[in-house]
Amino acid sequence: MKIHLKVWRQAGPTAHGQFVNYTAENVSPHMSFLEMLDVVNEGLIRKGQEAIAFDSDCREGICGTCGFMVSGIPHGPEPHTTVCQLHMRKFKDGDALTLEPWRSKGFPVLRDLIVDRSAFDRIIQAGGYTSVNTGGAQDANAILIGRDTAEAAMDSAACIGCGACVAACKNASAALFTSAKITHLSLLPQGQVERGTRVLNMVERMDMEGFGSCSNEGECEAVCPKGISLRNIATMNREYWKAILSS
Amino acid sequence: MRALRMLSSSVGTKVILAFTGLSLFGFLLVHLYGNLLAFLGPATYNEHAHALISNPLIIPAEIGLLALFLIHVFKATANYLNNRGARPDGYRMKKWAGGASRKSVGSSTMIWTGLATLLFVAVHLKTFKYGAVYTSVGAGGTEERDLYRLFVEVFQQPVWVISYVVSMILVGLHLRHGISSSMQSLGIMPDTRTALVLRTGLVLAVVIAGLFAILPVVVFFGLVR
Repeated sequence: MKIHLKVWRQAGPTAHGQFVNYTAENVSPHMSFLEMLDVVNEGLIRKGQEAIAFDSDCREGICGTCGFMVSGIPHGPEPHTTVCQLHMRKFKDGDALTLEPWRSKGFPVLRDLIVDRSAFDRIIQAGGYTSVNTGGAQDANAILIGRDTAEAAMDSAACIGCGACVAACKNASAALFTSAKITHLSLLPQGQVERGTRVLNMVERMDMEGFGSCSNEGECEAVCPKGISLRNIATMNREYWKAILSS
Repeated sequence: MRALRMLSSSVGTKVILAFTGLSLFGFLLVHLYGNLLAFLGPATYNEHAHALISNPLIIPAEIGLLALFLIHVFKATANYLNNRGARPDGYRMKKWAGGASRKSVGSSTMIWTGLATLLFVAVHLKTFKYGAVYTSVGAGGTEERDLYRLFVEVFQQPVWVISYVVSMILVGLHLRHGISSSMQSLGIMPDTRTALVLRTGLVLAVVIAGLFAILPVVVFFGLVR
């Protein structure tokens, strides 16, 4: 396969960026999207040029490190798939693709397709934790959690924090990410201690990082590689006004 | 103080928008009821209007309605500007995601259909509430405002009919996203009946905007006179 790429190249956070055209030759349909870029980069390095910078780690779709826009959609056109698990067989020979970094005030571009997602870490630090007693580990079965509750909490906990939700949202809102963390902990007995302050502090931090508000369009859910549901945002909103009324 | 600061947050703003929006939607239903009385003739229509105008609670109710309206407009505009600031450098290429997305023409144009509604309401109040005052004698022998006569006069003019129908299409687009979206913003969207709420919101938007829009048309064609 031959793939035509238009890639956003930006030397640094303050540098002026622009698109540069590349052609990936001899692409195997078995390659992942990132492997295809690896091959392009090897060619660039051989020619003494700077490789295209992109984030990746596990390449199994579970760590949340990779992610960029593939022709206007975060992680590309395949639903419930990170770009590392997106395979070239999903494309046709001769396809022209545009690769851009996530764009958001909260995610400044560091280089090429890499953005700084530490804003998500700071949202977690604001309240995405639980207080536990230290000492000997408690028996795992000592805390009873119903199966449905455990499943619902796991559905929210499945968020890998890749930032595709922010990237897809017209308001660059981090509501899906933040709400998934809030919902996950609000469902479980371990999360009850900080339940009220958690939602207030995490939302406050989310706003401070420059993310927009949620317009309930659900573009985020549609692009989320883990299929995190918009109902998490409804839960966050409910938790929020309940916390205000009881504070 | 803490609560006030919280309500200026992104989530608090959306809760306020949803609450005021739903309240205004409730007003629309009451308004629509009054409009539909036109089909029962001038007497019923004017009697209803007179009952409202002569009620001592009408002034506090109007002040409350105005407050809801202004809060909704102000918060929505501030929210829109803030959201635009969240992506200062836009995408060179961006597509709708499809799939589970609820994005629609309505959801994408809320600020514009909202501002159009604001303009419409100003003109609408000028035309009717503060328009020509005709009087007639009601059923009880008391003199009351003949709003029906004004209503028929206005909608005999094609320019008014067209502008009202267009305005109602814009209001309908606003409701198409607003009704179901407010359930989500308030966090009362049921987990297992989301599709039903979304569909109900769409149907209500079409029916309500349609019923509002049909009155000028029937008057124009002389079906109600």
